[in-house]
Amino acid sequence: MTSATVRAHHHPARLSRIAGTLLLFLILTTAAIIFILPVYGIVVTSLKSVADVSTGGYWNLPPNPTLDNYMRVLDPEGGNLIQFLWNSLKLTIPASIISISLGILAGYGLAKYSFPGNGTLFVFLVAGMFLPPQIALIPVFRMMNQLGLYDTLWSVILVHSAFGIPICTLVMRNFFQTVPDALREAAFIDGANEYQIFGIIMLPLTLPALAVLATLQFTWIWNDFLWPFILTQHESSRTIMVGIMNLTGQYTVDWGGQAAASLVGSLPTLFIFIFFQRYFIRGLTLGAVKG
Amino acid sequence: MLPVAFYLAFVIVPTLNSLFFSLTDWAGYGSSFNFIGLGNFKKIFTDRLFMNAIKNTALWLALAMLVPTLGGLALAVALQGKQLVNTIYKSVFYLPICLSPIIVGIIWTWVYNPKLGIVNLVLQAVGLGHLATAWLANPNTALIAVFVAWAWQQMGLNMVIFLAGLTSVPVSLVEAAHVDGANYWQALTRVIIPMLLPASVVVLALTAINALKSFEVIWATTKGGPFNRSDTLAVFMYSESFRKYKMGYGSAVAVILFLMTLIIIVLYFRQMATMEDLYD
Repeated sequence: MTSATVRAHHHPARLSRIAGTLLLFLILTTAAIIFILPVYGIVVTSLKSVADVSTGGYWNLPPNPTLDNYMRVLDPEGGNLIQFLWNSLKLTIPASIISISLGILAGYGLAKYSFPGNGTLFVFLVAGMFLPPQIALIPVFRMMNQLGLYDTLWSVILVHSAFGIPICTLVMRNFFQTVPDALREAAFIDGANEYQIFGIIMLPLTLPALAVLATLQFTWIWNDFLWPFILTQHESSRTIMVGIMNLTGQYTVDWGGQAAASLVGSLPTLFIFIFFQRYFIRGLTLGAVKG
Repeated sequence: MLPVAFYLAFVIVPTLNSLFFSLTDWAGYGSSFNFIGLGNFKKIFTDRLFMNAIKNTALWLALAMLVPTLGGLALAVALQGKQLVNTIYKSVFYLPICLSPIIVGIIWTWVYNPKLGIVNLVLQAVGLGHLATAWLANPNTALIAVFVAWAWQQMGLNMVIFLAGLTSVPVSLVEAAHVDGANYWQALTRVIIPMLLPASVVVLALTAINALKSFEVIWATTKGGPFNRSDTLAVFMYSESFRKYKMGYGSAVAVILFLMTLIIIVLYFRQMATMEDLYD
């Protein structure tokens, strides 16, 4: 085929392609607006007074923007979300650190040492990723009661640390496999021992993988509802998602308050989404697609 | 091996423990329970509420296999370029992923509000006011309405996976198809989509697993109601165990949920293995 025929062949197609692109753009824009509309709804509602919601509904812009809703739900005398946010932080940060640390250890061991059953152990550790939490709900509930940890943040920390192991192990093993063995061998020859190699050479290299896991684990643990719902009871150990859910039960007509609470509870993960999107998205695909 | 010990203690042992409790009549408090063999499982299949939950779960699963999967595929194909417009649109469709399913439930409760919700307002505005209903309180629409809220979040995740799959489609291959006279649609259906087979398997498996365990969105919107019309296995398991304190029975429900998930996992790993043979 000569270049002339190629051009001739493509020329009529170009017009229809522009029309197609335009149509696609239109469809996508409509879809995007529909997609974002519910989020827009809570943002504007959170800034309205009760009176403005009842007269103007949820969807118009707030005529007299106010932060009252935020103050009310955060206030220890009101929604007390400030305490629940703090509880969630006290839970999410240790649980993320523990699960990632355990994942580093397991991933390093699986990637750098060959021992019988290595492959089986890997599949065994990673398969837990797919387990529905429901299968462990009752026994963990019972175990935490027996250990005296029921209604403490520790119970939720332990569960999330353990349930984070599969994804953390997967990501870290795949990461360590990309680190050339020659690096280890060179360090050995220079007289470094195993711990020095791991601590001084390997750990600093893991930073990108750590960023991926940190965003992923933080988001997942912060947003989780089921475990703290089952394992905690009183306000002193209530997490933000359980707190928000309780709020909706208490004041069913306080739309502004619920909207403000939802936004406050989503702020940390929205922050990650906005500033660390690259790592977060990579984590999602790493977790989903092997290798 | 600390990680392995930890994993065994809090993931594997509880899983096995559930199998054990499913054979008992434990009530959730105290340490006394009787071993009743397969009694719970016999009871389950004559329990009208359980069969109802199975039916709802089956419908939920069937919809999940179609809607957020095809939607995610369409979005990924449409937005695969690196232009700024695409990046902005992608962010919009990613956004729900970073929200807690509880928040998703709360947000959509307003969307569906009978008087002030946007769905009914739009229907009235376009003259379809007679279709307006209390979406979450109407037994005929509750399950579908909650499903849409759940799919809103799942679709973004699927788009991410398909986008990752698309990066493995060589650009030269698509260009070659165009040079050979294929139009956009032909290149899409004959070259790009077949290359997305591995990503599709991942999406289908993950969506199915997520669909089976989804609890929060339903809990935040309908709690399984009205009249159990949106009661899925995950919700049924919770209410039997932690509201009615039938923990032995609840364990049996959890075991059935687990077995369903296991079937998907086994299919998934087998499909992955055959595909690796195919591509290596």
